[in-house]
Amino acid sequence: MTALLQILFDALSLGSLYALGALGIALIFGVMRLVNFAHGDYISFCVFAMLWPSIDAAAIVFAGKLPTYLLVPLILLIGAGLSVLSEIVVFRRFRNANPATMMIASFALGFVIKYFLLMLYSSRPKSIDLWSNLSQQVEIMGARIPPLQVITIVVTIAILLALTAFLKRTRFGLEMRAAAENFTMARMLGVRANMVIMMAFAVSGMLAAAIGLILVTQTGTVDINMGANLMLVAFVATVIGGLGSLPGAVIAGYLIGAATVLMQVVLPPDARPFRDAFVYGAVIVMLIWRPNGLFSSKATKQRV
Amino acid sequence: MAERPSILARTWSTPVILIAILAVLALAAYFAGSNPFNQTIIEIFIRVVLVVGLYVFIGNSGVISFGHIGFTCLGAYMTAWLTMLPAIKKSKLKGLPDIILNNKLDYGWGLLAATIFAGVAAYVFGKVLMRLSGIAASIATFAMMAVIIQVYSNWDSVTGAQSSVVGIPIVRTVWPYFACAVAVVLVAYAHSISRSGLALRAARDEATAAAASGVDIPRERLIAFVISGAIMGLGGALFAHSVGVVTPDTFYLGLTFITLSMLVVGGMNSLSGAVLGVVVLSIIIQLLRWLEKGVDLGGATLSLPLGVQEIAIGVVMIAILMYRPSGLTRNRELVWPSKRLSGGTKASAPADGKTA
Amino acid sequence: MSLLSVENISVRYGQLTALRRASIKVSEGETLFVTGPNGAGKSTLLKAIAGVVTPREGFIRFAGQQIAGKAPEDIARLGFSMVPEGREVFGGLTIEENLRLGTGMRADKDQAARDLEQVYAVFPMLKDRKDQQAGVLSGGQQQMLVIGRALMAAPKLIAIDEPSLGLAPKVIDDVYATLIRLRDSRGLTLLIVEQSATRASLTGGRMVLMRSGEVALEGDARELSKGDALRQAYFGYGDH
Repeated sequence: MTALLQILFDALSLGSLYALGALGIALIFGVMRLVNFAHGDYISFCVFAMLWPSIDAAAIVFAGKLPTYLLVPLILLIGAGLSVLSEIVVFRRFRNANPATMMIASFALGFVIKYFLLMLYSSRPKSIDLWSNLSQQVEIMGARIPPLQVITIVVTIAILLALTAFLKRTRFGLEMRAAAENFTMARMLGVRANMVIMMAFAVSGMLAAAIGLILVTQTGTVDINMGANLMLVAFVATVIGGLGSLPGAVIAGYLIGAATVLMQVVLPPDARPFRDAFVYGAVIVMLIWRPNGLFSSKATKQRV
Repeated sequence: MAERPSILARTWSTPVILIAILAVLALAAYFAGSNPFNQTIIEIFIRVVLVVGLYVFIGNSGVISFGHIGFTCLGAYMTAWLTMLPAIKKSKLKGLPDIILNNKLDYGWGLLAATIFAGVAAYVFGKVLMRLSGIAASIATFAMMAVIIQVYSNWDSVTGAQSSVVGIPIVRTVWPYFACAVAVVLVAYAHSISRSGLALRAARDEATAAAASGVDIPRERLIAFVISGAIMGLGGALFAHSVGVVTPDTFYLGLTFITLSMLVVGGMNSLSGAVLGVVVLSIIIQLLRWLEKGVDLGGATLSLPLGVQEIAIGVVMIAILMYRPSGLTRNRELVWPSKRLSGGTKASAPADGKTA
Repeated sequence: MSLLSVENISVRYGQLTALRRASIKVSEGETLFVTGPNGAGKSTLLKAIAGVVTPREGFIRFAGQQIAGKAPEDIARLGFSMVPEGREVFGGLTIEENLRLGTGMRADKDQAARDLEQVYAVFPMLKDRKDQQAGVLSGGQQQMLVIGRALMAAPKLIAIDEPSLGLAPKVIDDVYATLIRLRDSRGLTLLIVEQSATRASLTGGRMVLMRSGEVALEGDARELSKGDALRQAYFGYGDH
């Protein structure tokens, strides 16, 4: 029972990160058919924004010293800003390009961001102490669980609820869902393309920032590659979820999180290092079975 | 009509021109004799192999693959296993089968084995992946590379996990690299004008029409995938012998980025684009490296911070995609100047002589 | 003074010329049918006006403004409401959400709410199912929905591309009966692309016949369909 609870919390908190990542990617894909490979680098960027630029080994905490109630909005704002900026500077010019071209452009942009960070902060991982007391485990019904896990899960659920409300209840949300389904038709009804796309980028960037905050609290290190691995899993989740389907992306994120934690438990110790390889392998096999993902949306079938 | 060029000239002018470009580089390295320059040219040849390998699949099929560097990893480790001294293997890579552990082959056999091994791996992965198309296929290739890299960076007894495998025989002369680059250009060209290559490009441009006229798209894609996978494996093996050290990290996003950007800059859909992209970007990279090291400007040393190289490449790549998505060659092939010939890759577009 | 005037616009898709210096005019309150065989450039004409494709040359004036090359949303906001070919409902959105999308550009929210009620009055079926996903509607119902959605924008002009496409004859009759009713009761200005000239003559209004990207013939719909000129123009003058 206790072990089960532990596994459940592990799976949910890991799945939360993946779900948030997949959601950020699916949002953008929905409105402009862009698979944004730079998303992972937004995550790193937001984390590094807490530090003062320096290539020394020791981290010089700067914005990170702000009180929590200022720091969190600031980082979210930075994520949104970077994301919107990349839309304006880069992706806007690719509106009429094919998805493959956009995808490569985003891949290149990701590298530009990553090496920009490398230039300012060097490639060495640095340690940073942000809310580290949240990672000290507490006992809940016999299971040893760090409060951070609980916070991650709760925050993710809150974000998902807020986003659902935003999409379902507001005018912007309605326009965004319409644009995701049929962009041209939405424009012919007077939906402002640039506004909707910028809004999608802003929300996506905030999701990246949220992931960054959780990751850095979890690991206590900042690293220019920290977003990359999560991004890969998030991509896979968006494909499994059916490209463009937001609920699909979230569910697939949790599924992959659960699969990863289960593999960790089930696999013999010798095979555990290959856990991620097994997960990706399972994903590839699954795609053969359902090439359009588990929950493919109508809009994607038409276009992809 | 002007005199018709011979069939041979018409058909093979593109690879001949490309090989001539490579030959000039090889001769330059040979006559310069300087060690760093020699190494630079070797690097260029390896990149030609890798980028042409990418072209065989991406250029002909139109499916973007982010995973091909996985095959490069396979090739590099294969040749490392076969050509290292048994003593080193016994201390570092104990998990290898005895027959490999106790023997040492010449690097030529290493290259061959790497090519075959990567080709077989590409067949196995491709059998599964080629049923996907579009964005799902691209992301699945990414997942494929992640599988390969994950396995190689954790399989301690066979790959040394994340620590470097040192002691691979280093080949310093430029000729084997040149020979491989030439061979790869010829293979890629032969594939692109083959029935299978033509069918694949037809499917790339008009998927529905091609499928309707009986093109088995997954099969043609698989053929291209296997050939390109094998070439990537060869490139990995060459890489291993050029520096003598391999780690799984070498074959991940960084190398994917560089090779892909070379293909994009040159022109994704043409073999000439692949080769020219390598040459052009290699020159830029070399220049930036030199600037990163620092240039003496009358007392004051100007040096660019690390990272500028990649940022510059990324910016060039984005700019090309924005303003000239068909690359420097506009997706055409180089052909003999002054004669209006169709280049082979883009059958519908008239090639107006030497572009780029 | 015409509400919409298209002057000598040309549109090319790559090598293919879809429109060759085509011109049409629509006055306030009138119904203009654009007919012609497949590939005559009818849909392209509507798309060019809506801003979905950009003409290579020519002028388009709508409601007193030059609109050629403007973004679709800006044209829509001037009061040009487009019902494209194939209906294009948002299948994942509810029926009411589909309708509400039409009102986004309007500041008068109270009026929009009243219009919603009016649209429901015209199409009671839509009200009954307002919380269902639009994707479950039949073709005819979807056609009604998109017409209702176009009405919600309180447009100066509604352009409809092939309203009868893929519908059963009985349903087509219903759609046109509704359009005629709306036109007569509200004084709507309609621009309808329709392959069949018969439908135009039944509905009444002016008619333009297009062929190979050009306007071949123009006149009163009923007058034109009486004579031989229409048939000749439709099938060509034996010059093919």
